[in-house]
Amino acid sequence: MSTEQQAIGQAEMALRQQGSRRVAGSTQGFLKLHAPFNKMAAEALQFFADKAKLTFYAAGSEIIGPDAGNVRYFYLIESGKVQARQAGEVTVTEYSVLSLNPGESFPIGAVTAGRPSTNVYTAVEDTFCYQLPAEDFLTLMATSREFNLFCTQYIASLLNQSRLQLQQQFAQRASEQQTLNSPLAGIGSRSPVTVAPETPLRTALEGMSKAHVGSLVIAGEDRKPVGVFTRSDLLDRVVLADLPHDAPISAAMSPTPFMLEEHATAYDAMLAMATNGIRHVLVTDAEGRLTGVVSERDLFALQRVGLRQIRQTIESAENVEALQQSAADVRQLSFNMLAQGIGAEQLTQFISALNDALTRRVIQLNLNNHNFDGIEWAWLAFGSEGRDEQTFSTDQDNGIVFAAPEAAAVDGLRQRFLAFALDVNKDLDRCGFPLCKGNIMASNPQWCLSLDEWKEQFSQWIRVPQPEALLNATIFFDFRALFGKAELADAMRRHLLVQTSSNPMFLRAMAHNALDVEPPLGKIRDFLTDLEPDQPGKIDLKKYGSRIFVDVARIYALATGVHNTNSVQRLRLASKRLSIRDEEINAVLEGLDFIQLLRLRHQYLEGEPGRQGDNLINPDNLNELDRRILKESFRQARKIQTRLKLDYQVH
Amino acid sequence: MVFGLKNFLLKGGTRSPASLPEDVRLALEAWRASTAPALDGPHFHTRYVVVDVATSGSRAAEDELLGISAVGVQAGSILPADAFALDLAADVAADAAVDRQLMAFLTYAAKAPLVTYHSPFVSGFLQRAYKERLGVDFQPQWIDLAWLLPSLFPEKSMKVVALDDWLEMFGLGSSGRRDTMANTLVLARLFQMLLVRATGKEIATAGKLVEESQAATFLRRHH
Repeated sequence: MSTEQQAIGQAEMALRQQGSRRVAGSTQGFLKLHAPFNKMAAEALQFFADKAKLTFYAAGSEIIGPDAGNVRYFYLIESGKVQARQAGEVTVTEYSVLSLNPGESFPIGAVTAGRPSTNVYTAVEDTFCYQLPAEDFLTLMATSREFNLFCTQYIASLLNQSRLQLQQQFAQRASEQQTLNSPLAGIGSRSPVTVAPETPLRTALEGMSKAHVGSLVIAGEDRKPVGVFTRSDLLDRVVLADLPHDAPISAAMSPTPFMLEEHATAYDAMLAMATNGIRHVLVTDAEGRLTGVVSERDLFALQRVGLRQIRQTIESAENVEALQQSAADVRQLSFNMLAQGIGAEQLTQFISALNDALTRRVIQLNLNNHNFDGIEWAWLAFGSEGRDEQTFSTDQDNGIVFAAPEAAAVDGLRQRFLAFALDVNKDLDRCGFPLCKGNIMASNPQWCLSLDEWKEQFSQWIRVPQPEALLNATIFFDFRALFGKAELADAMRRHLLVQTSSNPMFLRAMAHNALDVEPPLGKIRDFLTDLEPDQPGKIDLKKYGSRIFVDVARIYALATGVHNTNSVQRLRLASKRLSIRDEEINAVLEGLDFIQLLRLRHQYLEGEPGRQGDNLINPDNLNELDRRILKESFRQARKIQTRLKLDYQVH
Repeated sequence: MVFGLKNFLLKGGTRSPASLPEDVRLALEAWRASTAPALDGPHFHTRYVVVDVATSGSRAAEDELLGISAVGVQAGSILPADAFALDLAADVAADAAVDRQLMAFLTYAAKAPLVTYHSPFVSGFLQRAYKERLGVDFQPQWIDLAWLLPSLFPEKSMKVVALDDWLEMFGLGSSGRRDTMANTLVLARLFQMLLVRATGKEIATAGKLVEESQAATFLRRHH
């Protein structure tokens, strides 16, 4: 070949390469938007983009199926929607239909193993797919750690990425909220109670009492503070000084209050409190006008409140007011833990543990007014509290069991316990555990029963599994003793397990009930969001998510004699007794964990302070990754439902 | 450097083969001697080349050709390995390198049917460039999406509309400015969709598709 011919050959090659680079550049632009590619090295993306071809599949056409032989390509959806249907007999372990979206890939297992696909993949919309030849796919697996991880730990790696995103999201929020470098303008009370210096003492004290505050700011008409009056001044400066109640407040106040301007930091306030031995710092604007008050308590909340501190505070709390503050601390600490990326299982158990401590303290405080010496009794927690699965929004579900020496004494004892329970229920409400709308509370005579009455109640539900009995079973069979004689609860549990194991019809009825609600997976769309007529576009993550797992866990626990109430523990232990493979049950538990995590996050991020959060999420507001994991989590819910269906022959 | 070109040939004139660099002349001869691929096979076996040009304006007779982007569509797929991109600066030298690059496109396309949007526009620029630079009367088989889309997707639009309107109707990305290669790639996608539709309508070969394109152009222009 002459040099001239080589020259033109080189020109053509250069221009072809330039064209290829640009085409690949367009592919890389797409890859960078999707996991796991967005985490992969530039060379790996380049490799993918150089090798993958783009193919069009019209709506309705089959992309790949078991009949096509060994899978020759790894498919990545660029646009459109693909439905995967399991071919042949439906097995218990897999979903039957699922839909895949842009950024999702298939059939990972088959292309890795070089076998035919077990699913039929069909384009349900006009769809473009990148197709990476199998040998290039394997090369990529061998060279890119991220891609390898993605393929081998399909679900697990997605979960981790989501956790990382979550951590970042929270770290940002946490740092906004809780550093000691935050300016005082955003901390503490923004509307402190103020009175004029000449206000009579009696009027001022009445005002304090009415507003439920422990301190007053005394300020002139120009809103410039001239003093502070706190409860501790009452003793020293009023009572002991024998000051008449019509004296002006200025005679009793602490003059020259400590003040800081709004732009000073929380740290400055903390320093001032420590050096001056004061508990309040007044916050002013540049002209010295009062704009707020920061208390020691406000600063305490800013710090990373530790578990032990909170526990100690709870256990030594002298009254409900102190416990109210601890309840707020529990919430703050839970958020911090959520921000640190702690999984839902640990987090809900942790919230439950601290709420337990709070409840116990409320019970103890009320026992000062109610004496049950010589009587065996226990405070029972039901529902999510009974399962150690409390989220941020949890109302009360509780009851009492007591041992009666003789039948005649039962009603008398009940009356005493009911009076006590009413006080406890009210105090718990004040601490942020709203009264139960369904009145599942110890102060309801229905749920304040002797041991024999509880046993009879359980037996009755099991013998006659009416809809209401089944509903009650889902609440009351998840019980544990929170305070008092735990042996009473154990006796209830033994009775329950004996009864359920000798009444197979009951478990079947429970299974039937548990299968009433299905995970909201669409055949065409990802999610069904129209299941709640008054909440269009939203999914109730409790009703259509976690409850499915919880219901199945309860049935298997009862069937296999598992004493635990926590759903994760129930599923782990029951699956061992049923010889379900670890991988299978772990995938299920990860699904539950993710749904719980989403609920916690939603309640924290979307919830308004002081209001009960809901479980309604709009899947469109989730990022792509979370949507995919949520879908996978729902598939896991469907998977255990399918198993339940087969095990109990429910059709 | 434009004056250099004008020294060589009159604007609108035909380049004489004798004045071409030797390698280009030989390559051109080889290209002329090559047979165009048969157009009577199914689409799946035909290689189409989707092409778009960058220009300095809209008048082929006066404005400059600034670049050519092309991708092959084979067996219904876009392969990154089968692509071509040529950038010509507006003040490009009249040197042999440009002749080689233009020649390279002919070799790359290899007489495959060319697919574009508004072929008279694209064809006008290419014809002038090839006539002036290589002395070639460039008359490939054109498949014009602008006219074919309304005839194959009448449920979406019965008349010729702007490219962005089609992209919107097919949900193919956002409208707005695209570079020549990006434009070529969206044309290729439209063409991939069109191939499936054409097969369904028994326009099963490249030859029939070219005929259909010509008929659509003729019918719509004249009736």
